[in-house]
Amino acid sequence: MKNIRVGFIPLIDAAIPIAARECGFAEREGLDVALVKETSWANIRDKLVHDLFDASHMLAPLAVATSLGIGNAKVPLAVPFGLNANGNCITLASGLYRALEEVLGHRPENPRQSAQALKRVIDKRKAAGGQPVTFGIVFPFSVHAIIVRHWLRLGGIDPHNDVLFQVVPPPFMVASLAEGVIEGCCVGEPWNSRAVESGVGSIAVFGAEISRSAPDKVLALRDEIAAKDPDTIHRLLRSYKSAARWCQERGNHGNLAHMLAQPQYLGVAPKTVLNALSGTLAVNRTETRAMDDFLVFEGDEINRPDPRKARWLYAEIASGLRQPLDEAQAQAASAVFRTDMFDAATGNNAPHEAPDPIGLKFGPAFDAWDLPAYVSALER
Amino acid sequence: MTDQASILIIDENRARAAIIQEGLREAGHLNVRWLNETGNLLRRIVEIDPEVIIIDLESPNRDVLEQMFQVSRLVKRPVAMFVDQSDSEAMHDAMVAGVSAYVVDGLRKERVKHIFDMCILRFNVFSRLQEELHEAKTALADRKVIERAKGILMAAKSLSEQEAYVLMRKTAMDQKRRLAEIAQAIVTAEGMLK
Repeated sequence: MKNIRVGFIPLIDAAIPIAARECGFAEREGLDVALVKETSWANIRDKLVHDLFDASHMLAPLAVATSLGIGNAKVPLAVPFGLNANGNCITLASGLYRALEEVLGHRPENPRQSAQALKRVIDKRKAAGGQPVTFGIVFPFSVHAIIVRHWLRLGGIDPHNDVLFQVVPPPFMVASLAEGVIEGCCVGEPWNSRAVESGVGSIAVFGAEISRSAPDKVLALRDEIAAKDPDTIHRLLRSYKSAARWCQERGNHGNLAHMLAQPQYLGVAPKTVLNALSGTLAVNRTETRAMDDFLVFEGDEINRPDPRKARWLYAEIASGLRQPLDEAQAQAASAVFRTDMFDAATGNNAPHEAPDPIGLKFGPAFDAWDLPAYVSALER
Repeated sequence: MTDQASILIIDENRARAAIIQEGLREAGHLNVRWLNETGNLLRRIVEIDPEVIIIDLESPNRDVLEQMFQVSRLVKRPVAMFVDQSDSEAMHDAMVAGVSAYVVDGLRKERVKHIFDMCILRFNVFSRLQEELHEAKTALADRKVIERAKGILMAAKSLSEQEAYVLMRKTAMDQKRRLAEIAQAIVTAEGMLK
């Protein structure tokens, strides 16, 4: 048995690393995996960088930012596996959601409508000299931040000048909404449902309404580990591929919910996990909404680390920081996503490559080979 | 220039924060404050405007500090994580001890290193104290249950105190279990048979 240490944050999208261990997929590959629970993405990054973890559950944009030295010391990472797409929601504080209903005369019916209503609320508030709306995000480099920016732009809101962003750790999100520190947030489950249950907020948008397959969490490891011991990594990836299929299967969701709910993992009620797995959420006090691809674990489009996705993440990070694009950085980013490792491990000879790796449902089409055109269309 | 860097400790554990604060004071750093805020942390940091921030790794608030790396409208001066590139072993030790540090731009490295090393030391002192406390509590609980089991055996089998103790110790050795476990089994069984 080969021992390896994998870090994770207690979130539903840590399902694949957890199931790989709990269902014996890792053991079958001769791996004894120790899963180490962490409280912050900064810890995850630092423990990976300083060799306390062999691999880790990580925010996809953080893996790219760390590799490029954006926001911190530069440490090249390798991403050989995507762990999920979607699973996040944009939730608004009850007061702000009511203001949206008032300007529309009814509940917003789609992301464009809610964003346009928010624009009118923001304009009114500006005219009256009120405070800007602050959004809580889980990390500066997160798909959560990207999703909020896309949604805001749907309504003609400038994410850089019309609103503020503030990092709020997910466990503090509901309290921050209640106290008015933030008026909206983008976060994974169960935190949106908690806000709805406690009457603090309403879910306005599912992340899956903004994009079909934007990378959310990935498996990340130090580049040198990938080079030094490829065999162990291949075995880990094979166990993750089996786990991904198992997690995706609806018939297993009851078991998966109980597995993740255990105190050593998420420590929440199994029912809460099950709601997110089934994609059926109470979005406010009276309505429930369901989406089949609310949270997706499996498929080449999700698991295979397509370098075009890394280029998209880089473009979004640069745009978020209002930095000019640099093709050398874009190439360095795409080198982080290691299809070669994924293909070698899984024997994937004819991967399914979607024409559009991100599947944005609104806004400009994404062309991985023309990032300047994408970003200028985005920011127009 | 005074050598009084303003230091902010962010730690939900009051006892540990006190131990660190004391260590820093002894080393001559008098400008030390402590926060255990979970809510609007960023605003408090902006108000206090520290030059060095020490934070425990158990705090989810580390991610809040990450935001200050970027030029943000929320913060006055850029903040960076304290990473001594020349000394990755020290960073490793800090991770293991469970502490991390952030500094404002332009602060001299040697000054921060001194503060940081002191904090690592104190974090380790605190862990050791906790372990000792845990051991002391366990020992106390063990002694109590052994006393009770001894009493039960003495009454049930008309044994002297010494004989009851020897019987339990022999059983523990035969079964390769701790004396306290055997004693607990006796206490549990007696409760069920009552």
